[in-house]
Amino acid sequence: MPRSLFDKIWDAHVVEELPGGNALVFVDLIVAHEITTPPGALTIESDFGDALYDPRRIVALLDHVAPAKDSATALQAQTVRTWAKRQGVTFHDIGDNGICHVIVPERGNVTPGMTVCCGDSHTCTLGAFGAFALGIGTTAQTGAMLAGCLILQRPKVMRVEITGELAPDATAKDLALTVIANLTFRGGTGFVLEYTGSGVRALTMEQRMTLCNMAIETGATTGIIAADATTAAYLAATPLAPQHWVPERADDDARYDATVTIDASAVRPRISWGTNPGESAPANGIVPLDAPAASLEYMGLVPGQRIDGIAIDQAFIGSCTNARISDLRAAAEVFRGRRVSVPTIVTPGSQAVRRQAEREGLHDIFQDAGALWTHSSCGPCLGMSMGVLAPGMRCVSSSNRNFPGRMGDGGRVHLAAPVVVAASAILGRLATPADLAAEAVPA
Amino acid sequence: MIVAGSVLAIPRANIDTDQIIPARFLTRIDAAGMGEHLFDGMPGGPELLAANPGAAILVTGENFGCGSSREHAAWALKGRGIEAVIAPSFARIFLENAYTNAIVPVVVPPATAEALVHARHIAIDVEQETLRADGGDPIAFELDALRKRFILGGGYLAYLAAKVPAIRAWEAAR
Ligand code: SF4
Repeated sequence: MPRSLFDKIWDAHVVEELPGGNALVFVDLIVAHEITTPPGALTIESDFGDALYDPRRIVALLDHVAPAKDSATALQAQTVRTWAKRQGVTFHDIGDNGICHVIVPERGNVTPGMTVCCGDSHTCTLGAFGAFALGIGTTAQTGAMLAGCLILQRPKVMRVEITGELAPDATAKDLALTVIANLTFRGGTGFVLEYTGSGVRALTMEQRMTLCNMAIETGATTGIIAADATTAAYLAATPLAPQHWVPERADDDARYDATVTIDASAVRPRISWGTNPGESAPANGIVPLDAPAASLEYMGLVPGQRIDGIAIDQAFIGSCTNARISDLRAAAEVFRGRRVSVPTIVTPGSQAVRRQAEREGLHDIFQDAGALWTHSSCGPCLGMSMGVLAPGMRCVSSSNRNFPGRMGDGGRVHLAAPVVVAASAILGRLATPADLAAEAVPA
Repeated sequence: MIVAGSVLAIPRANIDTDQIIPARFLTRIDAAGMGEHLFDGMPGGPELLAANPGAAILVTGENFGCGSSREHAAWALKGRGIEAVIAPSFARIFLENAYTNAIVPVVVPPATAEALVHARHIAIDVEQETLRADGGDPIAFELDALRKRFILGGGYLAYLAAKVPAIRAWEAAR
């Protein structure tokens, strides 16, 4: 039977079929961060003799609140730190920190054909490497640390064929938002999204990570892209430079449970207007006339309103979606020689990204523009430490979630590409780089 | 096992885990204390809870528990006495977390969920996979045949721990 890429990885990792359509699935790599790992580490210590299945298969790190903001988050970090050291688990401490979905691939930990899990829903990012990578809860992560396996229902597979190629002013973020708008916010539930086609092949690894990062926002189990020469070149340049991997791909006549086709060349810069990532529209468009009233009430918008005129209070460039070096380079090009007109926070995805950006002088461009250049952290993305919004404050953000309260109680979030965030920061309203050319730059 | 109690109805789709428990409360190293912040991120959430004290059964809309993988959402529900959630659909990670935390995830057709919004008391027979609203006729639903045991007797981690020898043998032969 011809198989999809996902099928091949799944079949190679099933240890045992279990009742109810479940399977015991072997996990090659577990990523462990400070918010979701401590309860599991402590449970294994107290109830299971502190014995991990294989500490070499775990990478632990601090990212969500890095460094700690108070004693409670310091205890979370310290719990992971002492556990990782005691167990001999690879650990990225403060100073070598980064967002899990940025630092793990950047070091070369993820190779094609692997299975990866993390107590974090955006683990789907790592599907960009042709791995089956999925987010799970703390108990499931604990089970994987204890027994090396997850219990999973076999997902269906949806082929998301991306034809054509992105226009110069459209980004992988715009493609991701287009895919979600197309499938809807829950249309991917029960599926793995297998991205194929010329529009995917043309993407860099960082763009592929941005695309896969938002697979979860359709409800999908994850997204996945077959490895190719682009993948190989990226991996060869990582610190670990992994050698021993096989570039699996789908059989030519593989059958899928569903197929959608999206024309990348028709993708336009997009901005979200609602309270989930499926609620977005072209940046120069309007809030839809049939937009749900609850979303608009929360966002303080009206149907038919122009999106690109909406005034903002804050701008954020960062997160596991869009804080890699290419994202920062693109944003810096927009900021160069201009000034922001609202508080703007630029947060690199890892300390390695930060150092690379500084070698290239990007930090000067951001700071000359009046933006705050921070250390790496999840930061404002989840409203847990820095850059939290007050009720009613409106932020344009390169992150992935615009849920009510996501960046702070009552805060309003508009998702967009880093270049759109940068242009909006300069004009103080939702805008694209094209609008900068059309409008006189504020002094 | 019968799970029964009064109903908290929140007939909204896409209630995400940030609404169930906002990130600012995810600062503990254990599962304790989450219940007091249940629905703090949902517009009108705390008021709804205050108006339905002691509710044990949540009836809600499509795609409940979407978004973040935080198991804190299940801990918050459980910590506030919610023993079952009835919805037309669940997000995958929440569904897995519900089973491991012995919250009964009951999937019913949208029309049934809409009707149950008006129920005052619901009793769920976990073994039989049926529910009765206000003493009415039983309504059948389906649970995951394996994970049902984690609702009835817990033991997700013990189940996996018992598989370790077989998993090691599989890995050695890989
Ligand atoms: S950057 Fe945001 S979405 Fe990504 S892992 Fe951190 S909190 Fe989650």
